[in-house]
Amino acid sequence: MLVEMVIDGVDVPEDGSAGDLVADLLVSVAHGDQSAFAELYDLLSSRVFGLILRVLVNRAQSEEVLQEVFLEIWQSAGRFAPNKGQGRTWVLTIAHRRAVDRVRASQSSSDRDVRAGIRDAGVAHDSVAEQAELSIEGERVVTALKTLPEPQREAIVLSYYGGYSQSEIAVLIGAPLGTVKTRMRDGLSRLRNEMGVNA
Amino acid sequence: MNEGEFAELAAGRALHALSDADERRYADALAVHPEWAAIAEHDAETAALLAEGAPVAEPSAGIREALLAQIAATPQGGDASPPEASPLQQSSSEPSSPELSSPGPEAAPVVPGRRWSRKLFALAASIVLVVGLGITAAIVLPQLAPPASVVALEKIEGAADAQQATVELDTGGHATAHWSASVGSAVLVTDGLDALDEDQTYQLWLVRGEEPLPAGVFETDAGAATALLDGAMHEGDVIAVTIEQAGGSPTGLPTTDPIIAIPTA
Repeated sequence: MLVEMVIDGVDVPEDGSAGDLVADLLVSVAHGDQSAFAELYDLLSSRVFGLILRVLVNRAQSEEVLQEVFLEIWQSAGRFAPNKGQGRTWVLTIAHRRAVDRVRASQSSSDRDVRAGIRDAGVAHDSVAEQAELSIEGERVVTALKTLPEPQREAIVLSYYGGYSQSEIAVLIGAPLGTVKTRMRDGLSRLRNEMGVNA
Repeated sequence: MNEGEFAELAAGRALHALSDADERRYADALAVHPEWAAIAEHDAETAALLAEGAPVAEPSAGIREALLAQIAATPQGGDASPPEASPLQQSSSEPSSPELSSPGPEAAPVVPGRRWSRKLFALAASIVLVVGLGITAAIVLPQLAPPASVVALEKIEGAADAQQATVELDTGGHATAHWSASVGSAVLVTDGLDALDEDQTYQLWLVRGEEPLPAGVFETDAGAATALLDGAMHEGDVIAVTIEQAGGSPTGLPTTDPIIAIPTA
């Protein structure tokens, strides 16, 4: 499958991989700096939006969540502690949480939207997939995921990209809840090692 | 709780996959063992890397303007939701309701079958998403196709004449039948069925008038199953389940009394 991946125009991250530009911006945002906020948005909005869209599928809903995420960043940047983690991680964690919350809220408010989403997903993503390009970091993640045993990869992919809870995954794949929990933990530590995150 | 159990919770939390009850266990454990925060931080960092595995996408241009106008009028440090990276603050904002997850604002009592079907739709929706994602998804998840029963369930629920009925079992479990006469199929979703001996199986029946037609056998996992009934379902059929010997009743007729019977008329 890798052969089919045409890698052209790969992004070289200019987004704070060297030093933590995002963290610096967050500190400025925490002090009410609106131009720093604009810069942060320009730097991360397409990354954040791509993640939300992957989880939510529906573009209109994803744009709503994107706004919620950046509004939360504005309001709570003061709680970001630069000594405790990376700015990019902080932002992406908020984005993922909000996307997952939305998936669960919308599935309990209306079956119809979800079913409509099923149909939309089939159409919308055919065209997106053709142009989907991943950054170098993205390629690394995909490669690292491939090294995981299938059950671990499945648990991680379903939860992170699918927005499923552990108990939903247990039902979906027909495994006991405890097994799903263990697979997630093992999969995540393995991924951490593969990706070289210090532990 | 020991550190190993906490590590399991931390991984689930980093992926935002915990139940409300486990969220609270996580927060409580972290409050007692602040030294475990590093575990949670490493997991959060690793999970955030997964974000890079999703292709970037450009939001509509108008959002930037709208946001900049919005923040200009929004005070900071106010009522924002508790930030993700500060797990300790999360617990205080959540009312403690120690029962099931998702109490939600829905009117009580919640019909279990309803909730199940919602979950199944969500599952089906996301499966389509994964399949539809093309290159990345093909590499990441080569084997995950939606089960036939989930596909059928979606089709049934999409029909104008979709119906469902839930029965509670004496043993504490429940079963919900979903059917559509126009689609001509039925799906049974169970939870809390008793585990059977190895030489036994649950068998489905469509009882038409007086005649039971075998509609396949199914297995449960921890009592749960989503089973598509074989054969064309007719309006007025009774959807029934019996316990039969492994492989199903050899005579093609039920040999025990049904444990579930749901009329579709």
